[in-house]
Amino acid sequence: MTLLLGMGWGALGVLVIAVGAIFGVWWERKVSARIQMRLGPQQIGPAGSLQMIADVPKLLFREDIIPARADRTLFKLAPLIVFAPIAIAMVVIPFTSGWAPMDMSVGVLFFLAVPSIESIALLISAWASHNTLSTLGGLRGAAQLISYEVPRSLSVLPLVLLAGSLRPLDIAQRWEWWWFPLTLVAFVVFFIASLAEMNRGPFDMPEDESELVAGYFADYSGMRWAIFMMAEYGAMIVASLFAATTFLGGGWPLSGAAGTVLMVVKAVALVTVIMWVKWTLPRVRPDQLMSFCWKILTPLALIQLVVVGVVLIWL
Amino acid sequence: MAVDPREVPTPASVSDESPAGLKGFFAGARSIATGLGITGRIAFGKPITIRYPTERSVLSPRWRGALRLRGVLGKDEVKLVRTVAPEYNRALQELYEADRLPPCVGNCPANVDARGQNYLIADDRVAEAYELVRDRNILPGVLGRICHHPCETACRRNFYDEALAIRPLHRFASEEYRKVRAERVSPLPRTQNKSVAIVGAGPSGLAAAYDLLKYGYRVVMYEGEDKPGGALYKGIPTYRLPRDVLEEEVGDIIGLGLQLHTGQHVGRDVELSALISENDAVLLSVGLQESRFVPVPGVDAEGVVGALEFLRAVNFTGEGGVEGKRVLVIGGGNVAVDVARSALRVGASSVALACLESDQEMPCHPWEIAEAVDEGVVPMCSLGPEEVLVEDGHVVGMRMRSCLSVFDENGRFAPKYGDETTDLPVDVIVFAVGQGSKVTDLVSGTEVALSERGQLVVDRTTFTTSVEGVFACGEVVTGPGSAIGAIATGHEAATSIHRYLQGASLTEDRAARPAPAYPNYPPVDLEGIESNRLRAVIEMVSPDERVKDFRPIEAGLTRDGAMDEAMRCLRCQSEVCVGCTFCARTCPDYAIQVERVDEPGARCVTRYDLDLSKCCFCGLCAEQCPTNALMHTGQYEMSFFERDLTHFDKGEMLRSADGTRATGRDGIAPPACPSATRREEP
Amino acid sequence: MPHDLTVNIGPSHPSTHGVCNLLVELDGEVIVSAEPRIGNLHRGIEKIAENRTYMQVIPLTDRLDYVGSMYSNWAYCRAVEQLAGIAVPERAEYIRVMMCELQRIGSHMMALGPAGSDAGATSVYMYTFAQRDLVLDLFEAVCGARLTYNYVRPGGVSLDLPDGWVEQCRAFISQLPGAMLELDRLLFGNVIARARMKGIGVLSREDAIACGTSGPVARGSGVDFDLRRDDPFSVYPRLEFSVPLGDNGDCYDRARVHLFECIESCKIIAQALDQIEPGPVRNDDVPRLIAPPAGDTYAHVESARGSLGVYLVSDGSVRPYRMKVRSPAFSNLSVLPLLAKGHLLSDLVIILGSLDPVFGEVDR
Repeated sequence: MTLLLGMGWGALGVLVIAVGAIFGVWWERKVSARIQMRLGPQQIGPAGSLQMIADVPKLLFREDIIPARADRTLFKLAPLIVFAPIAIAMVVIPFTSGWAPMDMSVGVLFFLAVPSIESIALLISAWASHNTLSTLGGLRGAAQLISYEVPRSLSVLPLVLLAGSLRPLDIAQRWEWWWFPLTLVAFVVFFIASLAEMNRGPFDMPEDESELVAGYFADYSGMRWAIFMMAEYGAMIVASLFAATTFLGGGWPLSGAAGTVLMVVKAVALVTVIMWVKWTLPRVRPDQLMSFCWKILTPLALIQLVVVGVVLIWL
Repeated sequence: MAVDPREVPTPASVSDESPAGLKGFFAGARSIATGLGITGRIAFGKPITIRYPTERSVLSPRWRGALRLRGVLGKDEVKLVRTVAPEYNRALQELYEADRLPPCVGNCPANVDARGQNYLIADDRVAEAYELVRDRNILPGVLGRICHHPCETACRRNFYDEALAIRPLHRFASEEYRKVRAERVSPLPRTQNKSVAIVGAGPSGLAAAYDLLKYGYRVVMYEGEDKPGGALYKGIPTYRLPRDVLEEEVGDIIGLGLQLHTGQHVGRDVELSALISENDAVLLSVGLQESRFVPVPGVDAEGVVGALEFLRAVNFTGEGGVEGKRVLVIGGGNVAVDVARSALRVGASSVALACLESDQEMPCHPWEIAEAVDEGVVPMCSLGPEEVLVEDGHVVGMRMRSCLSVFDENGRFAPKYGDETTDLPVDVIVFAVGQGSKVTDLVSGTEVALSERGQLVVDRTTFTTSVEGVFACGEVVTGPGSAIGAIATGHEAATSIHRYLQGASLTEDRAARPAPAYPNYPPVDLEGIESNRLRAVIEMVSPDERVKDFRPIEAGLTRDGAMDEAMRCLRCQSEVCVGCTFCARTCPDYAIQVERVDEPGARCVTRYDLDLSKCCFCGLCAEQCPTNALMHTGQYEMSFFERDLTHFDKGEMLRSADGTRATGRDGIAPPACPSATRREEP
Repeated sequence: MPHDLTVNIGPSHPSTHGVCNLLVELDGEVIVSAEPRIGNLHRGIEKIAENRTYMQVIPLTDRLDYVGSMYSNWAYCRAVEQLAGIAVPERAEYIRVMMCELQRIGSHMMALGPAGSDAGATSVYMYTFAQRDLVLDLFEAVCGARLTYNYVRPGGVSLDLPDGWVEQCRAFISQLPGAMLELDRLLFGNVIARARMKGIGVLSREDAIACGTSGPVARGSGVDFDLRRDDPFSVYPRLEFSVPLGDNGDCYDRARVHLFECIESCKIIAQALDQIEPGPVRNDDVPRLIAPPAGDTYAHVESARGSLGVYLVSDGSVRPYRMKVRSPAFSNLSVLPLLAKGHLLSDLVIILGSLDPVFGEVDR
């Protein structure tokens, strides 16, 4: 029964992420345009907001190209695997203070663990494409995703400690305003690690367009390519929602429906900041990425954990 | 944010070393915040892109886009420069400012519409061409023989191949006009109740008379010689100008209503004061009567003559008293050359021509001295007269001193002599070093003021003298010059007289003759240019033959030759494409193809194709276009075209400049050409 | 012996600055060797020039260095002027200097923008392109074209400056230094950009001279050489400017030299605008069909990429007998294998970008 319910919520998650991705693409085009002194989409709909409505049929009707030397089965499988974990991870996010689609006792762990499956999808797509640039991108991606699991998980632990529960609902319900300054470093670490997890700039070297063209999904076209893009935006939305509910207190100081709206606004603001960072900063090099992860982010997260642990003793 | 760039310092080294350790970590974090701050600020700034369909991008006026033609041969007429005389200068100025004045017209002192003449001749409207020329150059047949043709000097064909034969075309038109003269010359109606007296029947007086007759005045002209023409009659040798041509064309002006009294020397037979009282205005166009001499020892000896006296004797009596004698002509101008060549024809055993200037600086026209040298005249340059060697009152020789330079650095006449002297054994010395006016007799009994040197005091722009109602024009005002220059002053004086008689101000709202500046291109190498693009060859009598007598030395153009020559005209600045193909020739990418039919009266550009898929928009073609017909537009956008519509044909090239883009081949049909058959000889 | 991976970068690749094929041997992600394979954009311009009149060659030179047509035109026209002994009016020389410096700014924008975007900071490209667009607006106003100008002619320039151009130009050069210093903070101050560019692709001073590099590549390595100052031509001796130099010869120095050269160009333009006087812009005595006397000549200008020279041989006819272009981009590109060895694949595009090659000029 739980499995069936989960699948139902999962399907709904796919829908939400698909819609969210459509919004996200438009929003990213607008934000990047303004940062670059441009106007962005403006022809279709008010301020070009229906641009993606026009783009989706275009993508659907695109020729679906599979390279001759690609592994066809794996090549077709990869987009599904890359998308599914993102949608599934969505089900544990508490949308209001008392309700999450799936109320799991280990929700935080679930949220951190499930998107890691994406690294398998990356490797599959990179390997299946039979392309040196894709392979390099896939290998970089796998290394990056696995490495950044560590600071990302560590950065959530302070909240788990404060809330005393791995249940996201509990974190959301017990959230107090002073958690935010206390866990600020953890939030920054989570934010940076999430950027790396979702392959966003400045950590987007798996798909590094200036050297690897598009990295692991360079050979994908049409809707398969669109699914990779949706997965990226989905990851962005999911991570922002999770950060908004846990680190930023969800609907705080409002509650009920207004709280949900405020939570979404916080998430959108986080998405915007992610875009702002991407369109501002240069990309780091893979070896710098690794040393940054292990030498700076992980120690920072550990220090934060210790600080919260010390504070907990006084409480 | 405006700063003077000069205040921004440049670092000694651009390698900006970063701090290490924790300091470096915080500097790095701060740099990321700075970067986010900069992009964030820019994100709230004004976008630099435009909202494309509603906001159109603005192209610069010089935008090099798709080409179009303003007009094309066979469809559009060439606009003739044919405005009533008082407004002529203004009309020219406006044309010049609109970049529509061709160099030949702009460079002519009288602004004869040579382009219109060529257009009408090529269109087989020769009589109209003659009358168009006569409007400004009142003696087309005469000037067609003797003019120094500044129009040809300025002709833009000079730098493509060879100048157009504009002067021989004047002559051709006058010869053709003979056939229709009787029916086309009739007295002009007299519409003004006023009369003007003109003293002197030279070219400037005749030009003024012509204009005044056109305005409807009664014009009375007094000439001291027995025939009209002034210097043309007295001074020009007949091998250059047969006198019947002169008589015919002056006859035309008489036919238009001029009352000419020849043999009436004003100041001797008629008093100027009488003319002033009888007429409403008087114009003095008496020209120059006196030869000048260089004051050297022995200049009053027997055998020293002035150029005017010599030419007059040769022209009137056919002999100059130099048979078998050695003649030395002092002077390097055109008159000197005329004297030298006439002296050969009246039997001088040898003729030398000595001048101060070097052979590069000689003031006469290069073709004149070249023809004279062909005939046997010996030019001796950079020599100044030192002393006339006299024996028994007769000239036996001339001592000449070498001349180092003629003009000082400011361009003023200040000859510097060397030490070297040469003695030339000669029998006759003719001084052709200039002429002066002799007007003391003329103005006696009137209040017309003279300068200390005996010159008329004349305003150079309005041509008024010190007495109201008395005007002066021609060489008496300007000094020695060209016939066409004298004619130009005649037109100006006529305008003044007209304004004076109408009671209008002479200066107010009066436009000066424009002084157009055209680039002076040196002629290009003629090698490799098709012969049909070259100037018509004008037949000349061989030098051995022509020194024997005073028969005309130059043949005119044949009818076919004249037609072909007129068709060579590029119709500069007319904004009508003549299919000269220079655009196609200059195109580096062979994108332009031009074809034309070149038959007199049925000329047409049959094809003008522009292949935009080859065009690199370098703009060399439009820069070459002599007519300004080819111009750039901002009308072309590939996205508005089907891909096969990158080929503009003649119709498309003639599309309107309005609108923002070319419309493809919808609705623009190429204009049809008239049937390309040669017209029958009349 | 580790297994090498061979990767083809280009010719169709986002950051090869044109159509260059880099054959890269990788050991993991470390470059064992990187070999530029040029010629994909070879159009035989030098050969085509032999079949065109001297005037018709000018549009060809537009296409040599297509981000810097003005100084390509100028280098060629200087050669023709030397060959045919054509004098150039002073105003035309000032206009040429201004155009060349504006073109240098426009071209350096094409070096600075990619210095950011190769490293992933895409917005920098847009900011520099906004500045380049202002340069192109100035060019469009003066000659009607935005890319292939065909503006400099033997004996001058084709058209005089239009009304209002001087004010437009002054407005441009007064805002540029501010924008450049902001770009300096945004890109060259950024910790990630410094980490990506500093110490990468170090070209020693000796190698820079030995490989015949010039322009910002040589100056980034500390080679104090600038034709504008060291072989003065045109009216440059009357203008004051300094030559920015780097210490380390790494990608950072090469890229940042561009930035300060833009500011120096602004200073030159400001002085030229003060000094220029009315007069003719074209020697009217130049015939349309130039046939220089037989002989040969070499003329060079300091282009945005270095010493751009044109060697012309005339046999006395109206077409050049031989035209050879000494292309700075070609010489600069030749140091790529040297610089790339031992760095990561990610560094390769930054190294290539810092050499600022234009393949229209490399391949010709």
